Amino acid sequence: MSGSVAEVPKAPTPPAERATSWRKNRKLDQWIAFWSVPFFFNLFGLVFVPLSWMMPPRSPSSTTPHIVDFMQSHNLLIACVILTLAYGLAPVSNACYLMQVRRMSVSPAFRYSMMIGAITGAIVGMLFPMFCFGLGAFRPGYNSGVLTMLYDFGYLAFIGSLGCFCVMWMAFGLAIILDENSILPKWLGYYTIWQYVTELMAAPVWIVKSGPFAWNGLMTFWFAMTLYVSWQIIVYVCIYRAIKNQPEAELDNASAELRQAVELRSGTSA
Amino acid sequence: MNTRGQRILLWTAPPAVALFALAYLVFPVFSPPLSPTLTPDQVAAFFRGNVTGILGVAILGNLIACSLVPLFAVTAVQISRAATSSTVLTYAYVICVGVGTTAFILADYCWGMAAFRPDRDPQLISLLNDMAWFFFIAPVGTIMVQNLCFALSVYLDERPDPIFPRWVAHFNVATVVLLAPSAFSILYKSGPLAWNGPLSFTLRLTTFAVYIAVMFWALVRAVRHQGDDRVVLA
Repeated sequence: MSGSVAEVPKAPTPPAERATSWRKNRKLDQWIAFWSVPFFFNLFGLVFVPLSWMMPPRSPSSTTPHIVDFMQSHNLLIACVILTLAYGLAPVSNACYLMQVRRMSVSPAFRYSMMIGAITGAIVGMLFPMFCFGLGAFRPGYNSGVLTMLYDFGYLAFIGSLGCFCVMWMAFGLAIILDENSILPKWLGYYTIWQYVTELMAAPVWIVKSGPFAWNGLMTFWFAMTLYVSWQIIVYVCIYRAIKNQPEAELDNASAELRQAVELRSGTSA
Repeated sequence: MNTRGQRILLWTAPPAVALFALAYLVFPVFSPPLSPTLTPDQVAAFFRGNVTGILGVAILGNLIACSLVPLFAVTAVQISRAATSSTVLTYAYVICVGVGTTAFILADYCWGMAAFRPDRDPQLISLLNDMAWFFFIAPVGTIMVQNLCFALSVYLDERPDPIFPRWVAHFNVATVVLLAPSAFSILYKSGPLAWNGPLSFTLRLTTFAVYIAVMFWALVRAVRHQGDDRVVLA
């Protein structure tokens, strides 16, 4: 696991200080943020699949009684509660990306674009669809037309939210490609841009109600989901390595002596 | 740090604007804009008759909804270059863009939903259409504050060589005044303030279009003059 950030000399950390306890870890904040994300995605998966069976998605062409049955299942409300409690963790994953982009030699405009995409995405892609399902289950007795509308809205907003993620990934990918500090590997930048293009594949969910391009279809759900999950895991591994390889002298909480020592050795200040 | 990244982000705006213009021109709901006085049955009939056009534009709108975000992000960077005591205006600006874009996307979803199953109860189609218009026309609060933040940063800038010409700030204040009437579209179903009226619809969209063009020009100029000037890494 040789670090790509090898230019800055490794910090002369006394081994005793590192070994004492996790509490003394100089990057504790970043690690807490980092590990909250797999926790969140696992919780997300548990709520969506075994608890509520919201995912894999039901068919857009389900019969009305099926839709009504599903929309009134009590587990949807419990799912809604759990996600309402946990959805604040979604911004944390984006914050982990932002910290690495901040270390790159790129304009803050990239970070702002990602932040805006993250704000928007959390609302239209998570809170709003979740509440559509919750509203359906909340009050029994709505007529089937209303429940079908909430059902459509829930699935289409979950699966068919595209633009906000496109801008985030475009900015993230471009930042990696333009960066001269080699914070993240260049191929990840191209991979991210490619991932953003595959996102366009989900567009037909707004049109068709059955077949491979429906919101539960082979292409738009299963294939797109496989691509997305693998990309997400790879990005996360790269982020893990980037945090791990960040020289201690570069940290905001680095001691003044450490910073000076590094600056003296490298000649110029960053 | 060079300005290459900012220039790349900035030049994504012209194609984005072209796509927005295309979406506007082919959107059946806008030609002419649907009247708020239509009955639910009339609205449902309209959606049933224009499924393809509405869905096509709703999907396009979904994809390009955030495509002007890079332009705003560059604006935020330029705001942070102004010599003021802090970057508070930059952050206010960025958050406003996030919230404002959310409203636009929800409008797009509502129109898409109405056309997704046009055989729904007309009451629901009408509700979705009303929701879409509310989200599309009325929430001008965020872009107003956005432009005020920008104008303030220009007025308060203490640099000897200003980043933007002063008239760009005056222009931003003017857009705030011109965009404000749209908020009243919630009160009226006919007349100039209704969502299809000359003040809420035509003036709002024209102002926005001119505003984007002016800001693009001003930003290209500002970024060119930025040179090696370091940006506050907020």
